Amino acid sequence: MELTLNDRKDGDWTVLEVGGEVDVYTAPKLRERLVELVGDGQYRIIVDMTKVEFLDSTGLGVLVGGLKRIRSHEGSLALVCNAERILKIFRITGLTKVFPIYDTLDEALQDAT
Amino acid sequence: MSLVELHLPPDTQFVSLARLVVVTAARRSGMDEERLEDLRIAVSEATTNAILSHQRTEEAQRVVLSFGTRPTDEVFQVTIADAGPGFEPLPADDLVERDWQMEGGLGITLIRNLTDDVEFVRGEGMQVHLRFGVSLSSNGAS
Repeated sequence: MELTLNDRKDGDWTVLEVGGEVDVYTAPKLRERLVELVGDGQYRIIVDMTKVEFLDSTGLGVLVGGLKRIRSHEGSLALVCNAERILKIFRITGLTKVFPIYDTLDEALQDAT
Repeated sequence: MSLVELHLPPDTQFVSLARLVVVTAARRSGMDEERLEDLRIAVSEATTNAILSHQRTEEAQRVVLSFGTRPTDEVFQVTIADAGPGFEPLPADDLVERDWQMEGGLGITLIRNLTDDVEFVRGEGMQVHLRFGVSLSSNGAS
């Protein structure tokens, strides 16, 4: 399955909805989109991964790169993910301590700072 | 053990094909769904490393995946072999000291944690052996 990316504004936040598979072949498109959003001055981003079918370390690396880029502008990047198979790789790599991760987009929009 | 081989050109578009083929074979071997997800990620990581190694060194040879079940000890094994210069994997306990801002090295951490056993062999190329236990008796697979 190919990668799908859709973004929209929701209040102060930009919601980037990611779907499909994020691996070494598709991750550059996600990296490019995050760079574009930050370049456009969007420093409060929620990456909604509810429709992600697969994510490996290349995808994690892109999210870490996005977080570094946003933090350099004193912004925030939060994730929405409720799939155990994906949460597991965040736990193994210790990245649950780095990213705020929410079960639903509503929770992220209410709680993320 | 009857091994199946998959020969991939050094192009990242084929990593998803490697995942699909190996996971399908493991499912037929009786691996349960949770372990299939672990296998899917481990194969993706090792195949990505191999293909990128060939790309960096402009190595035109194919990356070779060999996989199958060893009935004697109920292990599903995948070997990912490349002809690149190889690498020395980070030690298993490196995660504790890890700086989250490092974007590399996450793949080896995932492989170590998601497999039952892994072996990195650096010779003329690099061979990574991924091993997963399967229960042949519970599903009638052979």
